[in-house]
Amino acid sequence: MTAIAAERYTGASIKRSEDPRILTGAGRYVDDIKLPGMLHAAFVRSPMAHARVLSVDVSAARELPGVVAAYTGAELEAMTVPGPDALMALMGWQGPTPEFTLLATDKVRFAGDPVAIVIAESRYLAEDGCELVAVDYDDLPPVVNAAFALDPASPPLFANLGNNIASPQTRHEFGDVAATFAGADRVYDFHVDVHRHQNVPMEGRACVASYDAGTGAMTVYAATQSVHVSKVAVAMRLGMEQDKVRVLAGDIGGSFGLKIGASREELAAAAASRDLGRPVKWVEDRGENLTTSGQAREESFDVRAAVSKDGGLLGLDVKMVIDTGAYPGMGAMVPSIVEAMFPGPYRMTALGFESTAAITCKATYVAYRGPWASETFVRERIIDLIAKDLGLDPFEMRLHNAAVITDPPAVMVTGRPLVGVTTKESLERIAQLVDFPAFRRRQAEGRERGVYLGIGVATFIEAAPGPREPGEPSGPMSLETMRLRLEEDGIVVLFTGQMPHGQSHQTTLAQIAADEFGVPFEQVRVVVGDSDVVPFGLTGGSRSATMTGGVALHGARQLKARVIDVASHLMEASSQDLEITDGQVFVRGDPASGIPVGEVARRAASGEFGAEVDASLEIVATFDGGEGGWSGGSHCAIVEVDAETGIVKVERYVVTEDCGALINPAVVEGQIRGGVAQGIGAVLLERSAYDEDGNCQSATFMDYLLPTACDVPRIEIEHLETVPLDADVNFRGVGEGGMIVAPPTLVNAIEDALSPFGARIYEQHLPPARILELIAEADTIV
Amino acid sequence: MKLSPVDYEAPGTVAEALDLLAEHQDDASVLAGGQSLIPLLALRLAQPAVLIDINGVAGLSGVSVTDGWVTIGATTREYVAEESATIAESVPLLAAALPLIGHEAIRSRGTVGGSLAHADPAAELPAVARALNAEFVVRGPSGERVVPAAEWFEGYLTTSRGPDELLTEVRFLAARPGTGTSFQEVARRHGDFAMVGLATSVTLNVGTITDARLAFAGVSDVPARATAAEELLEGERPTAELFDEAARVAAADIDPPSDLHGSAEYRKKVAAALVRRGLREAVGNAMRGSD
Amino acid sequence: MPDISLTVNGATRTGSPEARKTLADFLRDDLSLTGTHLGCEHGVCGACTVILDGRAVRSCLMLAVQAAGSDVTTIEGLGPDGEMGDLQQAMWDSHSFQCGFCTPGMVMQAAAFLSAHPDADEQQIREALSGNICRCTGYQSIVDGVLLAAERIRER
Repeated sequence: MTAIAAERYTGASIKRSEDPRILTGAGRYVDDIKLPGMLHAAFVRSPMAHARVLSVDVSAARELPGVVAAYTGAELEAMTVPGPDALMALMGWQGPTPEFTLLATDKVRFAGDPVAIVIAESRYLAEDGCELVAVDYDDLPPVVNAAFALDPASPPLFANLGNNIASPQTRHEFGDVAATFAGADRVYDFHVDVHRHQNVPMEGRACVASYDAGTGAMTVYAATQSVHVSKVAVAMRLGMEQDKVRVLAGDIGGSFGLKIGASREELAAAAASRDLGRPVKWVEDRGENLTTSGQAREESFDVRAAVSKDGGLLGLDVKMVIDTGAYPGMGAMVPSIVEAMFPGPYRMTALGFESTAAITCKATYVAYRGPWASETFVRERIIDLIAKDLGLDPFEMRLHNAAVITDPPAVMVTGRPLVGVTTKESLERIAQLVDFPAFRRRQAEGRERGVYLGIGVATFIEAAPGPREPGEPSGPMSLETMRLRLEEDGIVVLFTGQMPHGQSHQTTLAQIAADEFGVPFEQVRVVVGDSDVVPFGLTGGSRSATMTGGVALHGARQLKARVIDVASHLMEASSQDLEITDGQVFVRGDPASGIPVGEVARRAASGEFGAEVDASLEIVATFDGGEGGWSGGSHCAIVEVDAETGIVKVERYVVTEDCGALINPAVVEGQIRGGVAQGIGAVLLERSAYDEDGNCQSATFMDYLLPTACDVPRIEIEHLETVPLDADVNFRGVGEGGMIVAPPTLVNAIEDALSPFGARIYEQHLPPARILELIAEADTIV
Repeated sequence: MKLSPVDYEAPGTVAEALDLLAEHQDDASVLAGGQSLIPLLALRLAQPAVLIDINGVAGLSGVSVTDGWVTIGATTREYVAEESATIAESVPLLAAALPLIGHEAIRSRGTVGGSLAHADPAAELPAVARALNAEFVVRGPSGERVVPAAEWFEGYLTTSRGPDELLTEVRFLAARPGTGTSFQEVARRHGDFAMVGLATSVTLNVGTITDARLAFAGVSDVPARATAAEELLEGERPTAELFDEAARVAAADIDPPSDLHGSAEYRKKVAAALVRRGLREAVGNAMRGSD
Repeated sequence: MPDISLTVNGATRTGSPEARKTLADFLRDDLSLTGTHLGCEHGVCGACTVILDGRAVRSCLMLAVQAAGSDVTTIEGLGPDGEMGDLQQAMWDSHSFQCGFCTPGMVMQAAAFLSAHPDADEQQIREALSGNICRCTGYQSIVDGVLLAAERIRER
């Protein structure tokens, strides 16, 4: 294995180059931007979940001193071009396309639907102006849940669809489903629900759109996971040439899938900027973020499981319904990923899957950290339920069913090869780190005192990015591009389309390039966030460790070869005898021979080399993922449930994870812990709640509760020895895994804690009141 | 989430504050700590014409003891009350409740009087005031009046303070010997409002309960005394069975709300559990003399 | 709109904010100190925390006019001469943060707490920071940074 040239930085928890500015208040987030003449936008939003809009009168708002403009939905239609959601277009959505206007015109479809935009000299004045806009609504019956949405009697939210189905029911079969179920010793039927919850980054959606009337150019300062996708979204919607739109992004306060493309509000702000010829800033407040930015995860599953009496999980037959909210987003595309991932790392040989996506009067279903996570929740939940019914240990049942490393590798019944999957190893390591027998003794002793402890385990894999599928069509996400350049001051510059929003790319990519190229870490600069300058890219899908780490490695290698080639002319030595260490080119074995790489760049730029020498020290590298494998791991939680109050404490949380080679262990661990914290939030605290009239009840942080430092325990993490699959690039992503597997881990533990009460849990959200209901509903086992 | 336009006054004396209140009445909101009021203003749930900022009014803050009554000025910061040795020694129930109010930064600015004048039924201080029969000293155009806690809390976020009156101080009788207290609460997270909270004060005399006060937070639109449970307890010797019975009676007596955080049924169950826990702790403290 | 004068990061600053303008907005907009962040504007998330007259306060829950005559420290002024102080350095060493949006408020709250409780243990630190929401880290790295800072300050 060639591996990386030097391992001085890669694999070490190098301190982040982002931190000096982050820690001193010198970060630059969108709301920190002040441009000359900048105005501020606020939106008039519908208080109704479903209504016809009879009239919108902005005249009083326009009269308010300090208000510069106000636009209705109809006026904005005249200023923009209709088009699909940018992320859906990127992902190749082919299904039904609802027709709607940028801001609501004829009707509103969820409480918070924007109806008008007011532009003023301050956000304070813009909100004052919004209060003066008069909208006349004619109430319509709201469609508040998927069940009603799928009822043909429900009033269609979108006239052109004629119903509330975002994606029609499709059924696929993999393997011989009928035979598998016919031959099973037991067939189980479960219904499992996952509740609606959401990303909630600490910084909401935000942009400053700045149109220069003189040049006809639009600059958008964005909080986004991809400056290019945002650029395309803005250009398309405003009917502008793409090269007239530039998207810039600085520091971004988290996203978790929310900030991709451009939201309706951001596009409206851009249209307003163009009309006014002045910069327009829109920063959503927390109420907007919670009620309108987007929500996720609300899915329900009817699952049949074909099982052998020794606990073999032979096959599953799944019916999924997903509540995609009102306006289109990622929701309709989630079922196909859930289907592909449903077998997980197990050896099952049959899967039937059908799904329906329902349109309801709620905020749009957006991508949220591991959008397909429900497959892990459902599968890991039912394994526990089946094991208990069969009198088996759920842990042993997982081991029994896990695919092990074979050559050739096992293949998921849905097609993808389980190359290098270390599920068995990660489970076994959990059993070494957690003394299960000692816990069971402590649990039994606690029960006698009315103390209810529980332990839960779950395992998962994620395609981060996962092995390439033969024959899979390539798209913008299957190839990663990076431009690398050696500057005359000796700095190696990496231009990447990655758009870090907490992932520490400016550190991790520099670690890889520094090692491969041969310069100190401080001599690498990572440039992000300028659509005029960086190649296409998108940060998401936990792909950057492999794709961008890989292109940085290979690109640095290629650039180094180019530099050595130029240096060979300078130093009159053969390329094979040259190496780069500590920022200098040396003749191997002659420490006195060193020339700083910057000097090589200066000489190359000076033109002293003739045309036969390629003296350009800027290259474009691409990487297709190599022999990328899966990331995965196993989690174990120990909880204590107070049976009188329903309060759950997470006493201990252990992770064994395999993300291949680690670039920066502290970064990896931070990603895992953050994901687990979101899992704790989902199970114990977070719910995007709507009442029967479609009003959002979780509109402030008093009602949408996020986990705090008192809710998340120390999380112990072990990194497994990886199975190297590629000659060079064995970094695999880890961004989403924590959030994917933590919820079933915790629910499994809670059910175990409640087993004296005979509780069986078929849902993910377990606030204190629900815990007491589960205790009361179940039969008490003496 | 920006505040609506509002006028602002910062009187320096009680007399000035009263003049402003007389002038503006219900068009004005009194601004003390602001930790409850400013979020309401930011959410535009309240849009007063005038804010009367009393943080600069002389003589309104401080803790003192007179004739067995601990007097707390209305604008005394919660953190000052938390650090007060006088309160720790003489009003232990208040001392137990103060650290549960929100978070440190909230208590940096929040005031004892402000919390009690805002009268959120899920907050800690109203339950303490109700349990201890605190007295509220109010000044208005016709002078000063003293309102007992039983009459202070009239409804949801509503007190007997008239629109032209100012709460100037709150008084707590110093705890008698043999008294033990406990403040219990069940909140979704550390620092959150209680879903159910309970302020308990029990006085023992030669092993018999001579005085029992239980006041709930979060079960009604005002802090609610569990009078039936109190009557059950008085004159009895403390036992686990007695506590269970008191818990049953107290829970049966309340009709709590249902909301996103808990159903009425849930709150009743938790109320019962808190009565058991509160009595155990308060009686334990009384026996140890450790309060 | 009355003129106000206050000390911010050791310097006298003045302005004429509208009564309704919060201290957070005054710091960010009028004084261009954008380190202090708005995470919720209703006093729950703690991102706006500054130190005022020696106490951590939520600057979104104060009006700017209420801060007249006060002594305010924001994240920009925490370290000496705009450099990083002990707490910030320890947090850098501990990989405390990811996206950085909660950071200023978290650091200011931690700084205020540590100066009053230099020997706090982990549980006390967690409780002290429980009013500051972070969505990225799961808090462990933040708590480690505070513990490390406390240890280094003690050793000094």
